[in-house]
Amino acid sequence: MTDITSSYGRKKILKGVSFTALRGECIAIVGANGCGKSTLLSVLAGTLKPKSGEVLYYGKKAWISSGGRMHGNMETIRGMTGYVPQENPLIPELTVYDNLRLWYPDKKKLQQELSHGFLNLLGVHEFSGRQVSKLSGGMKKRVSIGIAMAGMPPVLLLDEPSAALDLVCKEDIRKYLQVYLERKGTVVITTHEESELEMCSKVYVMKDGRLVQVDRGLRGEELVRCF
Amino acid sequence: MRQKVQYLYIEVKKMIGMFPRMLLQAIMLMVLIGTIAFCGAMSMEKDPLAIQVKIGVVVQEDNVMTQMALKYVENLESASQVCHFVQMSQEEGIHLLENGEIAALIVLPEQLVEGIMNGTNPSVQVCFPQNAGLEAMLLRELTESGAGLLRVAQAQIYGAYDTAVTYGMTDRLSVMQGEIDSYNLAFALDRLAVYEEETVSATGRMNMIQFYGASAAILFLLLTGMAVYPVMQREPQAFRKQLIRQGTGEMWQCFCKWLCGFFCMGLLGGAVWITLKVAGVFLPESAGMVIAALTKGRGGSHMAAQAGEVILIVITVATLVYFIYSLSDGRTGAVLLIFLISVTMLYLSGGLVPSIFLPELVQAIGERLPTAYLIRAAGSILTGYHADTFRQCTVGMCCYTVVFGMAAYLFRRRD
Repeated sequence: MTDITSSYGRKKILKGVSFTALRGECIAIVGANGCGKSTLLSVLAGTLKPKSGEVLYYGKKAWISSGGRMHGNMETIRGMTGYVPQENPLIPELTVYDNLRLWYPDKKKLQQELSHGFLNLLGVHEFSGRQVSKLSGGMKKRVSIGIAMAGMPPVLLLDEPSAALDLVCKEDIRKYLQVYLERKGTVVITTHEESELEMCSKVYVMKDGRLVQVDRGLRGEELVRCF
Repeated sequence: MRQKVQYLYIEVKKMIGMFPRMLLQAIMLMVLIGTIAFCGAMSMEKDPLAIQVKIGVVVQEDNVMTQMALKYVENLESASQVCHFVQMSQEEGIHLLENGEIAALIVLPEQLVEGIMNGTNPSVQVCFPQNAGLEAMLLRELTESGAGLLRVAQAQIYGAYDTAVTYGMTDRLSVMQGEIDSYNLAFALDRLAVYEEETVSATGRMNMIQFYGASAAILFLLLTGMAVYPVMQREPQAFRKQLIRQGTGEMWQCFCKWLCGFFCMGLLGGAVWITLKVAGVFLPESAGMVIAALTKGRGGSHMAAQAGEVILIVITVATLVYFIYSLSDGRTGAVLLIFLISVTMLYLSGGLVPSIFLPELVQAIGERLPTAYLIRAAGSILTGYHADTFRQCTVGMCCYTVVFGMAAYLFRRRD
């Protein structure tokens, strides 16, 4: 990602953000509420068009500037990234299985994932027959991650995945991300959780619309002072 | 494309899963609206002759002949249905007239019947209050008409007498008077011959049952919008964005939701209609009227046109409801908005009270609203095919469908 800018109306949110993530690397983005972490992830996920800059995934152009206008290659973004937004992208009236069917059009593939794939690893198979509206927050988040993993993308974008979850759920999600990283996946995560910073190889602080890399060992007040 | 079809499949599956609950809500709604419509129709159908006008009568002497004549008039079917005669003194009558407790005061002179028989014809005094109400005004008109008829009859009798005397034909006088009597009696007894018959209806071509039936059907369809919430609601933004990421655009999402809502409303309407028919909720006469109205337009292009109109009504209502869902964020807001907009528009369009009874400004606004076209279209299905109404309603409903559809899409996209 190189020199990305983005704004809501006249308010500039991202003012030239650049960073690079390698295969199998976990990047954490921290910062105060409303500093632009989610905006950055939206740009990476292709749901928000940046004003300028360039985003490449494994050398393939995702967002490029041409003739003063931004062009997004949605095919690349879709194929390269899985996106877990803060809000769960689920239909509450349907079962977990029906929700998954929307993102896994291949029924066989879905069955495989549930029996011994990533969905099994996430524990989704245990409650796949239940209605989404009756699930706990942790269960919903696991399904959301499962949805993001539908195309087995090499990059996983997570927007505060542990927010409002209990300790057990947080630990389960952390373990799952470890497995994903071991399989050479790349993770970009926005978080307020110190425990999630431990698995990250780089930590960036979002401040005034720019990213500043900080020592990954910083914790507590030392880290907050960087905000 | 596969993703788009999959999304449609999921939406349809959700619709099927939620349908029993929506149907139950729709039936409850129908019972409520049906009761209101039934009461409305019954109150409007009430016989206006049930209202009786109180009239004071002053008899100035205790005359058997006058009392008999009064009893005769009181017991005439036409008079007894409308008027209630009460005998009283003149002072009491004037006092009641001033207080507006009686619509008129009739003062019968002495020797009334004898005077009629001997040709002196003493005049009857009829007093009306100064600030006459509707009943008093009506009575005044009737009295003046009656007096006019009497004047004509009297002129005929005197004219015949003078003619017979002038030409020396007094021996033929009884025959001439018999002719005059039979002519005037026939004229007076068949009073309808005096009037030109013109039917004026506040509900146009529809009768009261058809009018409230059409209004209730439209109100029901609009309010089923509250029941189809699970189908037409706005999904969470995260879900919609995820779909867009996967290649299912906002336009397709809108179309799928609208399509499911349309089917839902159509099915709910159909299911409730069948339930009502099976349960025999309709009164026999109104059921007969509905069947007659349906068979009237049956056959050839009319039946197809009416079926097309039914589909167009559901399409318009579904688009309007979908637009309302696009405006509101939560369920409560959407449901309240649907209720308020539906009832307000229906009222302004004359769906609750015929628009003829509403102020002119309200009438002017109301007849341009979508509900006005919907009610007219529903009414034309009940009363049979009318090309002009059909054309007007079709154009109106199509325009509103396009406008609401585009507005809903733009609202969702802006979000």
